[in-house]
Amino acid sequence: MTPLLLAVLAVLFAGPVPAVLARLPWVRRTPVAALVLWQSVAAAAVLAALGAGLALVTHHAWRRAPDPVAWTVAVIALGVTLLVVARLLLSAHRVGTSLRAIRRRHRAQLDVISRAGRTGGRIRFIEHEVPVAYCIPGFGGQRIVVSEGARGVLTPDELDAVLEHERAHLRARHDLVLEAFSALREAFPRWVSSDAALREVRLLVEVLADRVAVRAAGRQALGRALVQLAEGRAPEAALGAGGNDTALGGGGLLTRVELLADPRPRRVQAALLSALAVGVLVLPTAFVVVPWLTALRP
Amino acid sequence: MAKTRGNIGDLERSVMEALWAIPDGASLTVREVHAQLAEERDIAYTTVMTVMDRLARKELVHQERDGRAYRYRARGTRGEMTADLMRDTLEEFASHDRRTALAAFVSDASAEDVEALRAALAKLDGA
Repeated sequence: MTPLLLAVLAVLFAGPVPAVLARLPWVRRTPVAALVLWQSVAAAAVLAALGAGLALVTHHAWRRAPDPVAWTVAVIALGVTLLVVARLLLSAHRVGTSLRAIRRRHRAQLDVISRAGRTGGRIRFIEHEVPVAYCIPGFGGQRIVVSEGARGVLTPDELDAVLEHERAHLRARHDLVLEAFSALREAFPRWVSSDAALREVRLLVEVLADRVAVRAAGRQALGRALVQLAEGRAPEAALGAGGNDTALGGGGLLTRVELLADPRPRRVQAALLSALAVGVLVLPTAFVVVPWLTALRP
Repeated sequence: MAKTRGNIGDLERSVMEALWAIPDGASLTVREVHAQLAEERDIAYTTVMTVMDRLARKELVHQERDGRAYRYRARGTRGEMTADLMRDTLEEFASHDRRTALAAFVSDASAEDVEALRAALAKLDGA
């Protein structure tokens, strides 16, 4: 029974649960708890999948006198489990290597063409009319980049809000969370892993950085900065494919501005989501551990 | 003030500026760049050589052999290299479904999106 239950859990946590969670907009009002919940759902999916495989192996191979059929099942289950682990590791390696290479190249070029801000080397200004602001995350060599085009359309307090937002990303290492979810998404075929998790997590880290920026610069300044920069970019977006559901494009931006309007802390909701996050992780763990404990009993 | 130990980033920028200052298609040797930099700071020839070698490995300058020395030229003008970087950046922002190397403040928004944003912002200002 245990392997089947774990397999069902793995499928649920990989597909339907993220799909439902992504359709509950109120979850985003407690971004920290929501992010924790997303991470624990993802971890639970992996845990349950590996647990299902291992449970199948021990179930068939640890009998008194395993017959050939039981052995075959055990070996296949072990093979599949190892394959899943290998895919995860390979995907994490690929994603990590490629991100580091892109960032290194970008930083090398940025550093020679840009000017440092007055406050030191981390903030860089580039001579370009397209209004953009972004950061380059990573160990050693984080940068916050603002184009002259962006400086031109932002007032000083709006620019402060943008810089605070980017600093929050770098400080909290949001890139690591996104990297993990990217690796997870790319490890499995489309029909197993949905885009919902990565998309939602992307939005949540933006909401988190927005909240930090609001504390430092005020929500009006941040809201105006978001709209100013989005407006400056609109002509290009019209040419390219309009990504409406994304964290940084149209739909996500609107969600972010709407969330700015509603900054009330929601302690009960946060506590409930955190408890749910713990439960989600405990469930598959219990399914794996309990049968082993009972098997150990004399 | 003679800078004896400027940071490597400043040095890279100074070398690039020397290379950007020469006419299109021309190139400089390490000796020539060193001569220019040495007017403003106390700097060893070998340091300049190391920096220029690093820039070549990062593909920011082209290195070509000329007899016994190497000649260097920038990959493009400053404006071209800035435009290149910006194109890469915007492409990176547009690839929503992939892994993201850079974290944009905002990405694409259509004209309708901006309308909706303005309306939401108006509510925010009124609140």
